[in-house]
Amino acid sequence: MGKITRLELENFTCFAKLDLEFSNGVNVLIGVSGTGKTHILKVLYVACAITVGEGKDRDYMDKLRGVFSPYGGELQRLCRHPLARDALTGYSITIARDNGHKLAYDSLGNKGFNVWSWSTDDQLSWAEDALESVYIPVKEMLAHAPGFISLNARREIAFEEIYVDVIKQAYLPKLKTLPNPSYEKIFKDLSKAIGGEVILKGEHFFLKTEQGELEFSLLAEGLRKLSLAWLLIQNGSLNPGSILFWDEPEANLNPSLLGLVVETLLELQRQGVQIFLTTHNYVLLKEFDLRKKKDDAVRYISLFREKDADPVSSHSTEEYSAINPNAIAGTFDDLYDQEVKRSLTGA
Amino acid sequence: MAFITDDGDIKITLPDHVVARRFDDSTHGLSHCMKAVDYIIEMKERIVFLEIKDPDNPKAKSENCTIFLKSLRSGKIDSELKTKFRDSFLYEWACGRTEKPIHFWFLIGAEMLDSGQLIRRTESLKSQLPIYGPAGKPWKNTFVAGCLVMNLSAWNKQLIDFPATRLST
Repeated sequence: MGKITRLELENFTCFAKLDLEFSNGVNVLIGVSGTGKTHILKVLYVACAITVGEGKDRDYMDKLRGVFSPYGGELQRLCRHPLARDALTGYSITIARDNGHKLAYDSLGNKGFNVWSWSTDDQLSWAEDALESVYIPVKEMLAHAPGFISLNARREIAFEEIYVDVIKQAYLPKLKTLPNPSYEKIFKDLSKAIGGEVILKGEHFFLKTEQGELEFSLLAEGLRKLSLAWLLIQNGSLNPGSILFWDEPEANLNPSLLGLVVETLLELQRQGVQIFLTTHNYVLLKEFDLRKKKDDAVRYISLFREKDADPVSSHSTEEYSAINPNAIAGTFDDLYDQEVKRSLTGA
Repeated sequence: MAFITDDGDIKITLPDHVVARRFDDSTHGLSHCMKAVDYIIEMKERIVFLEIKDPDNPKAKSENCTIFLKSLRSGKIDSELKTKFRDSFLYEWACGRTEKPIHFWFLIGAEMLDSGQLIRRTESLKSQLPIYGPAGKPWKNTFVAGCLVMNLSAWNKQLIDFPATRLST
């Protein structure tokens, strides 16, 4: 399988130059809105998606277009400076794995404007070793699944491919047996949290509980999200060696459920799943700090701009207390300052 | 003036015009029936009831720290703090020393607590000590003018005229 070890971006979206090394376990991306957290997830996901299943024969560039969905399908729009999008300015993406394979994409290549090229090895060697992966987007899609895949196949619709991909993965039939007792426990805990099991009738998902069967469109969004995790465990999409990309797991989830989410992610990491997630949520971040055990691999990657117009920089650490800057904790610092001020002034 | 906490590891320095007195000691005289905060600090415009716990003190027994932190996280400590404040308030009221607004500050020597947790602990303590009266309307006489839970970092950031230092570092 092989884990993703490194990402280098140059002149790509909000990054002038970015060089990130990843943990084999959980990688938590934090930063205020517009610092490129989701872009990192997508760039890495594309590199995984072209190694397996329907995506195996696709070019990185083509999948990148589908996942980012730039206006008019123009990949040049992913170049950092808007003004440079019409000029001979390119961008590059380089991704490395622990099996020695490297995927390098240069939008200019050696030929000039808007011509892509692989500057090392080739895509075939990268795709030889499959990287099973799942991308869970912020928006919940299972309630909208009926008819979505066929619609997408026939029509041009303004949905990024991550939505189609995750629905297809949710539709996969369940495994005959889960990989090991740890997976059985994760599955049991998620079943308890959702209060039953997810069943499929045609293309419609239902949550089956003791009270009956409830279609997903009537289900709370938080429960739909946990149900998706339940399905992905059940059908083997998150088996050992796979990679999970999860954009804002906290979206629509009650904070009281985030402990379960973090415990699930940590256990998947212990089972050999590499995880990339973004978050704006203090509780999720703190749950990692409090629940992480000594041998757990968790890396926090803070994305920030020194000044508003600057390109995005990064700082990585494996210590929660060393996250700097910590945009989430910083918000609480501001709130605490206001609380103190109110208390001292009696306002 | 300056004073050093009972555990001997935190020193708080006060401006010239501010006076602190140890409250929870043998001169209290009613400890058999009334709880007491550790210190009472009198400023020009307010009185502060100060309670201090110091789990980061290197001399603190780990088992005591564990019990304290468990009590802190569960919110159980708020009940004890409430009783300490109320009894101290009654004591001072009976002594005729409650003319100025009284604030309650809880200083925890625990740097592991971040702003999110300090806010939560402050809110939790506030819920036990009503700043406002019934139906959210102001009391005719102020009972508690404000509550704050701080660790050393927060204390020094917010109260720059009252520096608190750890002696063992």
